[in-house]
Amino acid sequence: MLIESERLGAVEVDETKILTFPEGLLGFPADQRFALVDAGDDGTYFWLQSIDDAHLAFLAAVPWAFFPDYEPELSQADQDDLAITDPSQALVFCLLTFTEEAVTANLLGPLVVNAATRIGRQIVLDDSNYSARVPLAGG
Amino acid sequence: MLVLSRRSNESIVIGGEITVTVLEIRGDQVRLGIDAPRSVTVHREEVHAEIQRANQSAAEVRSADLGRLPRAPARD
Repeated sequence: MLIESERLGAVEVDETKILTFPEGLLGFPADQRFALVDAGDDGTYFWLQSIDDAHLAFLAAVPWAFFPDYEPELSQADQDDLAITDPSQALVFCLLTFTEEAVTANLLGPLVVNAATRIGRQIVLDDSNYSARVPLAGG
Repeated sequence: MLVLSRRSNESIVIGGEITVTVLEIRGDQVRLGIDAPRSVTVHREEVHAEIQRANQSAAEVRSADLGRLPRAPARD
């Protein structure tokens, strides 16, 4: 399907690459469907473009490319709701923020998606010491 | 806002299925126990708010920011 994106123009999206967040993302409850679009060629970065709002998009990174020790722990409720019983079933993305000084990743509220159903949720890691703004270090 | 006074080990019930119990009061810290259906998510307000703020700044990303992405460190 063809979708409109303010940042990417008209994008042809493979419908199997649409992620659904039934609760939306925190602060964005109305936008539940996002197209996952490659940003770059090494599988580290992705655009998450809202299907329903051409103006809403996020850049996300697969966290382990930069934070190999990152261990987000899913609560039993999150595991049950997402039908994830094993880490290999999950896709994990962290949203990126660009400030003048740095590019930061949100490790406190990662997006966890069941790779088979493509249904996901923004996980709130209450009891972790992760920050919502961790600078990405380049290599 | 409804204001209720509770002592240690006393509870309030919200909507018939959520119970919040004051477990312990020590100085300016209160430990709360929350019983809620699994479908009700319970989070510390400041964590929730922090993620919401981070999402809002993340949504301000521009196409040109792509050029600022660092290359991921090489893995062995």
